[in-house]
Amino acid sequence: MRRSVSLVLLLAIAALASGCSALQVFEVRPWERESLARRDMAWDPDPLQAQVEAHIHFAKEASLAGSGGGGGGCGCN
Amino acid sequence: MRTRCAGSRGLRALLLLATLSLAGAAPPRVETGQPAPVVAGARLDGQGQLSLAGMRGKVVYLDFWASWCKPCALSLPTLDGFRKEFGSKDFEVLAINVDHDPALARAFLSRRPVGYPSLFDPKGEYPVRFGVETMPTSFLIDRRGVIRSVHKGFRKEDVPELHAAIQELIRSGR
Repeated sequence: MRRSVSLVLLLAIAALASGCSALQVFEVRPWERESLARRDMAWDPDPLQAQVEAHIHFAKEASLAGSGGGGGGCGCN
Repeated sequence: MRTRCAGSRGLRALLLLATLSLAGAAPPRVETGQPAPVVAGARLDGQGQLSLAGMRGKVVYLDFWASWCKPCALSLPTLDGFRKEFGSKDFEVLAINVDHDPALARAFLSRRPVGYPSLFDPKGEYPVRFGVETMPTSFLIDRRGVIRSVHKGFRKEDVPELHAAIQELIRSGR
């Protein structure tokens, strides 16, 4: 009885521990990217809006660096 | 003695678990020169069944596509053009659609109609069998059902190369 309990316990620990294994990472396969391919899943769903926002950002914050872009924050570029 | 026996069983159970998890991790791969896996299933347009075996004796361009895949939108008219150019006597295109919703695939085809048939595989069983690594992926299969080349992705610049490969395979009679 004790032996079977310890065997069940061992199996349960092994099964639970397998969840921590790197092999258990669920990869999104190339043919499963339907949702990821949606326009609203993009970093910038609206490219024009993103460009306008980036322009304003660079004009105002370029001197802070970190985001690229030129200009000195004068708002004239 | 008892402890040793229980320990041995536990070790065997652990080994079994490890083996099973490793077996699940290795994706199947098909290589050029190997026979193509069996392909048979329902047509996307609902007009019966479709199989790769039914196209034996022709050079087959097997193409995996989806309505959400941007390069696929580019490839479909090109493949339809190949089919018209090479003729259905020697050449056929067999497409496998992997959309989850057949309505999306049908809507896509109503906007960009093609003359070749598509098989519908919403569970993605065939991409696993063929070891698809990117969308779209296509396989050029000879008259005997052997994979002759694999093409990953699709760009306009790839068209001459694909055209030449199909033409050469048709001419070779293989």
